[in-house]
Amino acid sequence: MMSEPAIELQGIVKSYGMKKVLRGLNLTVPTGSVLGLLGTNGSGKTTLIKCALGLIRPEHGTARLLGEGAWNLSAAAKARIGYVPQVVNLYPWMRVRHLIDYTAAFYPHWNHDLVARFTKEWDIPRDDLLGPLSVGQLQKVAILLALGHDPDVLILDEPAASLDPLARRQFLQLIIELAEPGRRTVLFSTHITSDLERVADSVAILKDGRIAWHGLIEDLKEQTHVNLEESFVEMHHG
Amino acid sequence: MRIRVETSSGMPITRQIAAQIRAQCASGALQPGERLPSVRALAAELAVNQNTILRVYERLTAEGLLQRRHGDGTFVADRVPSGQMRAQRELLSQQIARVAELARTLGIEPEELHQLLQDTLDKGLR
Repeated sequence: MMSEPAIELQGIVKSYGMKKVLRGLNLTVPTGSVLGLLGTNGSGKTTLIKCALGLIRPEHGTARLLGEGAWNLSAAAKARIGYVPQVVNLYPWMRVRHLIDYTAAFYPHWNHDLVARFTKEWDIPRDDLLGPLSVGQLQKVAILLALGHDPDVLILDEPAASLDPLARRQFLQLIIELAEPGRRTVLFSTHITSDLERVADSVAILKDGRIAWHGLIEDLKEQTHVNLEESFVEMHHG
Repeated sequence: MRIRVETSSGMPITRQIAAQIRAQCASGALQPGERLPSVRALAAELAVNQNTILRVYERLTAEGLLQRRHGDGTFVADRVPSGQMRAQRELLSQQIARVAELARTLGIEPEELHQLLQDTLDKGLR
């Protein structure tokens, strides 16, 4: 079955006041691929992600998600999306297990086994209040909540930034396990190039408001003969 | 199957994994007809994307080194393609020539070099 791209951005322009962040950006993410989005601080990764999700409206251009206009996404399409924002805001007065049960209640097909397994593997304190949890622990909870309903598209904004090395490796293995070839689409932004090469099959580099490079990581390496981090640095000096 | 992945290298992961499987087939660490781990299992073990492993298996299958039996998995081919063997020998000869040259530079006698190689092989067998 040839399907539409999971995510399609065309000619996206978005400014904040006088500052133009995205300048006619194009990006297509085919269904079933795992794309890592690289960019310096302030390059517009979060803006790109929010445009793709229909959380902010670009001044120009079109954003499509699962074949629908991102700005007017149907409830059915929304139910097929999982999103972990960069800054996680969860009800501080709730306990972890209550939040999981509360979120699960919204979805007819919640994967209780998966969530239970990773709550245990990630040492998530089920009985603790969310308020005092560390940034890394909150991030873990947010990742689980975004995965529990078995989404077709998973969008993560710097998911591994606050995780310790062990949690990061466990998180990578979770994404690798979930990203069955051809089925689930994953888009994640990151600074950690080594993680990106493991988990992603392709990479998009955001620079000056546009995608400066998009393709297979192995093709980039065959061209440059250096690792991803060096390529990224060179691209910004050259 | 022991495979190491180095993301800090300029060599793509796909190439790193393919080279290690080729080397293990050439050395006999992987025997003809032996079953390789599933794409999913190897991806989980190495913590790399399943598509990456799939591309490696497809490439080595195209080279004739591996065989994919539908629904049954991926196996080392019963007969290693002869071109592959020649290429492996060639690669090894180049490395040996380099070691021999280095030994000469360092003033190491041929007998001593033989002994060193023997020691290394013995260590590998333990």
